[in-house]
Amino acid sequence: MVRLRTSFASYVTLCVVALHLVLLPALFFGMGYVIRKSHETLFIEHARTFARVLAEEFEVGVALDSPTRTVDLLDLAIIHGDARYAELFDGGRSIRSSLGSPDIIIPRHTDLGFAQGGDDIYFIVLPIVHAGHSAELRLGFDEQPTQDRIHLALSRMLWLLAGYLAIAIIIAIILSYRLSRPIHRLGDVSRAIASGDYAQALDVSTGIRELHELASDLEGMRRELVGVNHRLQAKIKEKEISEVRREELQKQLQHRQRLETVGTLAGGIAHEINNVLVPIILFTDTALQELPPSSASRADLMRVLAAARRAKDVVRKILTFSRELDEAKVALIDLRGVVTEGLHLFSVLAPPSIEIRTEIDEQIPLVRADATLALHMVINLCTNAYQAMAGAEGVLTIGLRYQEAPDDGRISGPRVEFWVSDTGHGMDPVTVERIFEPFFTTRSVGQGTGLGLSVVHGIVESFGASIRVDSRIGAGTTFTISFPAIAEQYLIDDAAVPTA
Amino acid sequence: MQNILIIDDEPDVRDALKRVLDRAGYSVRTVESAVGAAAELERIPTDVVITDIIMPKIDGVQAIESIRKAFPSVRIIAISGGGNFGISAYQPAAITTTAYLASAEKAGAHLVMTKPFESIDLIQAVEKVLGVGHA
Repeated sequence: MVRLRTSFASYVTLCVVALHLVLLPALFFGMGYVIRKSHETLFIEHARTFARVLAEEFEVGVALDSPTRTVDLLDLAIIHGDARYAELFDGGRSIRSSLGSPDIIIPRHTDLGFAQGGDDIYFIVLPIVHAGHSAELRLGFDEQPTQDRIHLALSRMLWLLAGYLAIAIIIAIILSYRLSRPIHRLGDVSRAIASGDYAQALDVSTGIRELHELASDLEGMRRELVGVNHRLQAKIKEKEISEVRREELQKQLQHRQRLETVGTLAGGIAHEINNVLVPIILFTDTALQELPPSSASRADLMRVLAAARRAKDVVRKILTFSRELDEAKVALIDLRGVVTEGLHLFSVLAPPSIEIRTEIDEQIPLVRADATLALHMVINLCTNAYQAMAGAEGVLTIGLRYQEAPDDGRISGPRVEFWVSDTGHGMDPVTVERIFEPFFTTRSVGQGTGLGLSVVHGIVESFGASIRVDSRIGAGTTFTISFPAIAEQYLIDDAAVPTA
Repeated sequence: MQNILIIDDEPDVRDALKRVLDRAGYSVRTVESAVGAAAELERIPTDVVITDIIMPKIDGVQAIESIRKAFPSVRIIAISGGGNFGISAYQPAAITTTAYLASAEKAGAHLVMTKPFESIDLIQAVEKVLGVGHA
């Protein structure tokens, strides 16, 4: 069924009009009846009273004795009694006032009701007894003036009611528009919210409690929506940023791994060639020294030597290529900064199933290290730890502390300990023995190169620090790296090494 | 005449070093591995040991440590070809030079040098650890 829908204002107006269309006719007819009845009653009272007074005058007076007197009295009824017909019927003789309307014929049944008989005349017939004989006084009163008064009153009432109806409709329209304003406002804001604009507040001012409550509830919903929206946007942005960071980091790590692989290869080749160059250079050199100055072979040997030196330079260049990290900027650094940065980078990579805890001392002495390498070390250890817990929930703890007592390893005296601890599967002693070997891995193919921990080992060695592994099957593993806390850490400079 | 013991797994390297130092007037012996070095040092008192760092079986760093312990008076020169070689001595390429030389010095080598080098460098290094010219 199709339901006609109209605006709230029109609806209220239509309701008011409908209500009045039902009530006003009833009111009109009710009041019309009362008015008509009261006028009729007045008219009839007047007519009867006048007729009785006139009849008494005929009975007690001498008018009947003279026809002139009779006519005078009948004329009186026309002139002062609002009658249009006056007749005295006395024993077959009829005396009629000439002042009345001559065309009026008295009906057979007299004393008809008001507005009956169709002639606008109200007839009264009264018997008169005078001096032993009886006569009849016949009077006809004009109904028209009373009818006119009734019509006038009714038409005035009609105008009054029409005016009332018009005012009622105007008031209904004004009122309904005022009422519908907050509803329209609610509708506008709701539509705005539905189309994604949450900025407009629902500040509806209305005296209607239900509307006020509805507006408050909607405003509460809007605020909640705004909050949810903001949170969602922040989350999306955060996710985008971390996605970008993750990609950057992965790219960085891949690049580094490639460099390490190339470096490993280049280093191996360099070692071999350098070993080969030693006998070439030294034997040629010796031969040159032993040959007499005039020997023709001298020039040849000089060329061998020059070629060998060139080969040496080539090797040096190959090494330089893979030696991005060799220019390690070893300096006094605060490990806390490095660990915090590493943690930050790593937290992007770590799955949410892993809880990361930190136990970092507030005051840590400086240590000698290269910040980039140290960061590399931190990330490698963290990655190794989370891979040990892969597929399960676990806790990864990163710590940094100052230890005054000498450790059992290579570092005597105060030291800074950095440790990474996991609740992963742990390792047996045989595995622990081998974990720093390059390409040694317990992971399946494709999950790691097996270079991570050997790289860490190399970095740790280059800092003159030491690494310790504590592991128990099923309980987890802790890698502890001890840095000498004193600034005078002994490190050899490449420049101090005698070279050719 | 001062005695020098060369430890290197490469025969050509051993021979070349021996040839240069022989000519410089030293009494030179060679062994191919640190395994035989202790016995050799026990047999003939030695002034200078020149050892490779990256070798199979026992690497140079370990060799230096044990020699320093057993023969404190022996002067040690550590040499290496740079780069990475062998499993036990693996270091990431980039930091190798610093790392292995640091390890060798830490283990007690008096001087470290990278391969290849000229004859004159070798002779000067030996003289340096023996204190010639410093006395």
